[in-house]
Amino acid sequence: MLSRNGASGHPGYYERSRGSVGIDSQNRVFHVGTDVGGTFTDLWVSDGAGPARVFKTPTTPDVMTGVMDAVALAAGTLGLSIGDFCVRIRRFGHGTTVGLNALLTGTSARTGVIATEGFGDTLEIGRIRRQTSGLSEYEVTDFHLHNRYPPIVPRHLVREVRERVDATGRVLIPLDEAQAGAALEELAEAGVEALAICTLWAQANPVHEARLKDMAREVLPDAFLCVSHKIAPVVGEYGRMATTAANAALGPVAGRYLSRLEQSLRDHGMTVPLLVMTNAGGVLPTSALNDRPAFTLFSGPAAGVIGSRVMADRLGRDNILTTDIGGTSFDVGVIAEGRPLASTEFSVAGADLRLPSIDIASIGTGGGSIASVEFGDLTVGPRSAGSTPGPVCYGRGGQEPTATDADLVLGILDPDNFLGGRMRLDTEAAREAIETRIARPLGLDTIRAAWGIREILDNNMADLLRRVTIERGHDPLTFTLLANGGAGPSHAWSIARELGLGGFVVPAAATAHSAFGCGTGDLGISESTAVYVRVRHGERPSDAVLGAARDALERIERVVTYHLAAAGAEGDVTLERFAAVRFRGQTNALDVPFGGAGFDATIYDTVIDGFEAAYERLFGRGAGYRQAGFEIVELRVSGTAALAAATATGHGDTPRAHGSRPVVFDDPDAPVDTTIYHVDYPAPDSEVHGPAIIEFPGQSVVVPPGAIARADAYGNLHVTLEARP
Amino acid sequence: MTDQSPILYEIIRSRLMAITEEMRIALQSVSGSPTVTDASDFFTGLFRPNGDFATMGFQVTYQAPVVGHLIRHINAAPDKYRPGPGDMFLGNDPYVGALHQNDVQMCGPIYAGDRIIAWAGVEAHETDVGGMDFASWSPKARDVRQEGFRVPCMKLIDAGVLREDVLDTILTASRLPDQLGLDIRAFIATINVAQNRIDQLVARYGAEVITGVMERMIDGSEARVRARLADLPDGTFRATDFLEHDGHDNRLYRISVAMTKTGDRLTFDFSGSSPQAPGFVNCTRSGLEGGVAGAMLAMLAYDVPWNEGVLRTAAIEARDGLICTAQFPAPVGAATVEAIWVVSNVAVAAINKLLACSAGHAHRAQAVSSGTMATFNLGGVNQYGEPFGLHLMDPLAGGSGAFADKDGICAGGPINAPMPSIADVERNELVAPLFYLYRRMGHDTGGAGAMRGGRGVEIGLTLGGISEAEALIMTHGAEVPNTAGGFGSWPGATVTQAMVWGGVEAGARATGETESFGPKPGLMRMTDRDLFCVTWQGGGGWGDPLDREPEAVRADIASGAVSPEATLTLFGVGENEDAATTARRRSDMRAARIGRAPSSAEVSGRTRMSIGPNLRVVELDGAYHVVSAAGARLSTDHTRWREGAITVDLTGETGAQRIALHEDLRMTGYYCPLSGQCLAIDVHERDGLPADDIDLALP
Repeated sequence: MLSRNGASGHPGYYERSRGSVGIDSQNRVFHVGTDVGGTFTDLWVSDGAGPARVFKTPTTPDVMTGVMDAVALAAGTLGLSIGDFCVRIRRFGHGTTVGLNALLTGTSARTGVIATEGFGDTLEIGRIRRQTSGLSEYEVTDFHLHNRYPPIVPRHLVREVRERVDATGRVLIPLDEAQAGAALEELAEAGVEALAICTLWAQANPVHEARLKDMAREVLPDAFLCVSHKIAPVVGEYGRMATTAANAALGPVAGRYLSRLEQSLRDHGMTVPLLVMTNAGGVLPTSALNDRPAFTLFSGPAAGVIGSRVMADRLGRDNILTTDIGGTSFDVGVIAEGRPLASTEFSVAGADLRLPSIDIASIGTGGGSIASVEFGDLTVGPRSAGSTPGPVCYGRGGQEPTATDADLVLGILDPDNFLGGRMRLDTEAAREAIETRIARPLGLDTIRAAWGIREILDNNMADLLRRVTIERGHDPLTFTLLANGGAGPSHAWSIARELGLGGFVVPAAATAHSAFGCGTGDLGISESTAVYVRVRHGERPSDAVLGAARDALERIERVVTYHLAAAGAEGDVTLERFAAVRFRGQTNALDVPFGGAGFDATIYDTVIDGFEAAYERLFGRGAGYRQAGFEIVELRVSGTAALAAATATGHGDTPRAHGSRPVVFDDPDAPVDTTIYHVDYPAPDSEVHGPAIIEFPGQSVVVPPGAIARADAYGNLHVTLEARP
Repeated sequence: MTDQSPILYEIIRSRLMAITEEMRIALQSVSGSPTVTDASDFFTGLFRPNGDFATMGFQVTYQAPVVGHLIRHINAAPDKYRPGPGDMFLGNDPYVGALHQNDVQMCGPIYAGDRIIAWAGVEAHETDVGGMDFASWSPKARDVRQEGFRVPCMKLIDAGVLREDVLDTILTASRLPDQLGLDIRAFIATINVAQNRIDQLVARYGAEVITGVMERMIDGSEARVRARLADLPDGTFRATDFLEHDGHDNRLYRISVAMTKTGDRLTFDFSGSSPQAPGFVNCTRSGLEGGVAGAMLAMLAYDVPWNEGVLRTAAIEARDGLICTAQFPAPVGAATVEAIWVVSNVAVAAINKLLACSAGHAHRAQAVSSGTMATFNLGGVNQYGEPFGLHLMDPLAGGSGAFADKDGICAGGPINAPMPSIADVERNELVAPLFYLYRRMGHDTGGAGAMRGGRGVEIGLTLGGISEAEALIMTHGAEVPNTAGGFGSWPGATVTQAMVWGGVEAGARATGETESFGPKPGLMRMTDRDLFCVTWQGGGGWGDPLDREPEAVRADIASGAVSPEATLTLFGVGENEDAATTARRRSDMRAARIGRAPSSAEVSGRTRMSIGPNLRVVELDGAYHVVSAAGARLSTDHTRWREGAITVDLTGETGAQRIALHEDLRMTGYYCPLSGQCLAIDVHERDGLPADDIDLALP
């Protein structure tokens, strides 16, 4: 089940996903998705006829080598030369955290900032909330921990220029070109490789930013130049400046990486463009992203949600909770009525970035979460043992018991078959740590203590799932739970039961879900524009205001359509329109989808009706207060175009029983003898009855007593829990 | 709580925290008040039936005890208020428990069967609740009845039905009824969320379990803070701060605390504070409790869940009728930014003096942050032709106090909210008739010390899109440096505020005529030609500025944090000079402080504890002595070490630090008689030196 590719010299391995071995023929073509994670680079490949496979190679410091290693491993395993493989690739989707790591480790390009006179400290002041950015809820109350990240660009690389535009877009102070030229010279002198130009109200009137960019091109011919009204045309200079600065800082790094990767694949014969997953969940060719690398910062997590949506479409499900339990975090994506939950702002390395993105809810709870007892209270997390030293059972010096140690003691993990046998676990050490540090202080026996750790962990995760559904006006019972990642499928049963769900699904590509999403997601791009429609109670916006909104909307629709066409959209383009609406005076707005063409009084009414309905769903009946009036602050257009996608049909094997072991389900005093199955990919309709643990390469699916696991035609495993009285 | 399994306890505890967070999100998402959405001046929490809070969100900590007062008020008169299922009560009376009338609170009982098992409570600062002046802050008020409306307690939701007539009565009194109406609906939604979620928990686990968990959460936090206190040295720690101008006269008011720590408990004695003022700067006893709560949560419970248990470890002593225990009908409209803020300043200072004497905590001891919140309110008709009222939140952006081991945060803000925020300039200009000429860091505002205080921000703004409006401008701390430094450091700069009449022309700076303001110029008309300029306080520093690393000082020059003149005067470092030159200059400066060449002495004996960075308590020959870093013996048998230091009047030397002093204030520096190292700088009344601030219990 685990195949080491000794011949190619790199220690990769592959996991065959559920599906049959394909028919080798001259016409064979491939759809490929890759995702670069912190530890492994995943590659998912389908030949369109059936077999979908997952390959994993270690992520390399330069990132690109790891990707090319995975390509070589895939080619070799498929019995092809790299060239023969690359030439047959019809689609190559890619997700990467190169940019994110560069920002977090401060290895991005030396970046300068041009700001309006009087506002050069904007990044450092950071709305005074920069100081708490990146802190967990357990850390914010400790002022000694504040200010973890410095401003994204240090003050000595910021220059102020004399100019001013007001909120209506009127130029009050013309750009002082002589002074601006001198400022640019100083930055050139300081050796900046990238420049972010962000002046006040440039999104309302970009004339000064445009001129500054022209001037900068002269003075800094080799620098990567960004203007804020293009990168983040939002109201709010801090977020706009931080986003532009992050984008600038990434340009030389991420842009160079993507073009090198694309070139390398082309050199091997690939004829299609490299498609990169964006934060917003659509893939785009690198040519559309070269000037805005920040749009790919979170491509990995976004791809995971997109992979889930592809899966959901195939299963005919509209509402999905897609979960991933890693070593240090539990991540949840929500797809409601077929639409991934989106946000327009996130924070990286202390900077607020105002970019449309798929929203991933996350808590610092995972396999590495440390259990401890203080003052007689048992807590699990938020401290994590991470991978170094890691759980006690890893034998790398970890002393404090973790959730993984509890799973081992409870029989859920097989000490001899962890990560496909790549690591042997020390059950005795785990038991000892739980005994001395948890069980004895609490006066419990060891198994009960281990079960307690697990219950607390599962409940914390269920709390997060409640938060992302109930809090947003959704009923969790209408959702399908997808369990991804290494530990997800072993915890899903108890989380599902805690939420009252009837079961869960383990996707065929559960251990490489982001790569699957990169290989199967649609082309997509999102553009937004700041507008300002302010309406008092009982009034309607004027024709002039509506006209301005319509013009802005049509402008971004053209941009979206243009990019999709340039990206090679095949077939129909779908445009979705959203308006950010709030009651007059509020700070936060809700994204309200609306249909129709243009923007007129009728559409305005539809938007307001949609807002009031969404508001009541979120905050309860009677929470709305239309007497306050309304404001529309932003319009957004999201365009998607389907790409020909690989469909996989499953054949596969019947799960084989490999003995049994006692496993704790519910009652710590009565472990249940549980059959262990091994399978690479289960054949359609193959069934396993609980209590059972189905061990796949890289993950274990726990099927509790009374539950039934059944494989579908795509190789997904559906686990149905016993109905509770 | 009986025999609760630790596992079930932890599961339900987490759920209650998640519910509290859900309440916060509901309120903050729905609210239309910038005080809520940005400054997080609001409260959400779950309470025991007796009014003790079991959970709270990460909000303005002064508000922690407030809603509990309303619940206790209802409990005290059950026949009057007749709480029942589906009821919600509203109140805002500072003589019942609010900090000031702007703090509108609501609470609703949560029932299991016919028994109240908990309360859900919310509160938010509302910009205007009526009264003689906009924003309900009236510098001319002499009586609380001239300020915003007061509701001791009324039932707004009766068995699930909103009493529209009562709501109308409330909204009618406000100049901003839409904003208030939206917020009251947010309150209702928030309490509904809590009731609904707790109902589900009760259905699943039973009421006994839920009430038991809430009780244990409070006991758990109390035990943790008591354990921390037990680990700290016993003694009495004093701090004094001032606020100037009561709205009528520029008189100086003192708020003074003597904090005694014995074993695992604290006593805060405020008896040394001034009598109540004739103007709106007072606070009631609930304000005093709020200010102390704010300091304790941030400084002693930074890693302990915030609930009533933290506050149980302390007692507050103060007689009635002080500026911090004002009696009816004293006006208290500006209590939060005046008396309460200063109460918090002295409580923070006293607690950090205690931390600075503990080996395990000294590194995180912190000087006072952002010692005031200056007010800029604006009212009139906005650029959209609507009546408007604005309470600018930017003044939160003062500097943080330095820590013993690192500089304070520039624009770090006060310690009374863990997650503060101010709006973008663009948002302010879009929704309000404002036009900024600058928003930037103020140089030389952070207190000069070995660790520098964070800089305060400064803004210059005029009107945008309208030609005139009425402004209310007031603060304390224009003539009082409120951000006390620690152990030889300077406090941060005082607030400077001025109007440049005719200082703007078409969005650009024009010459105009500058009028510098004192602390409370009050109400005035301003036009779109006038420029309002204000610089907020920087944070206090930590340790003698002559001990600051020269490299750090030069970085301060490069970043603009400190001007080249101030680095010479305060830090003894020139911009481009070698190490020897700096060392020579610093030695000369130390010599000048004490009138002789610096020296040092050998001290034997065992160090028993440290007092801040430069003083030690040494046991020698059966006696205890406070000894300086240079070996000077400053006091024996007690830690009132100031008796052995050389004192210098610094009142005339405050310019480099941008400090203006009230005519009744003096500043005194205390120096090591051998080395000239600065050991303390006190701000005090002109008629004498203050009492020693650290009096440790010696074995």
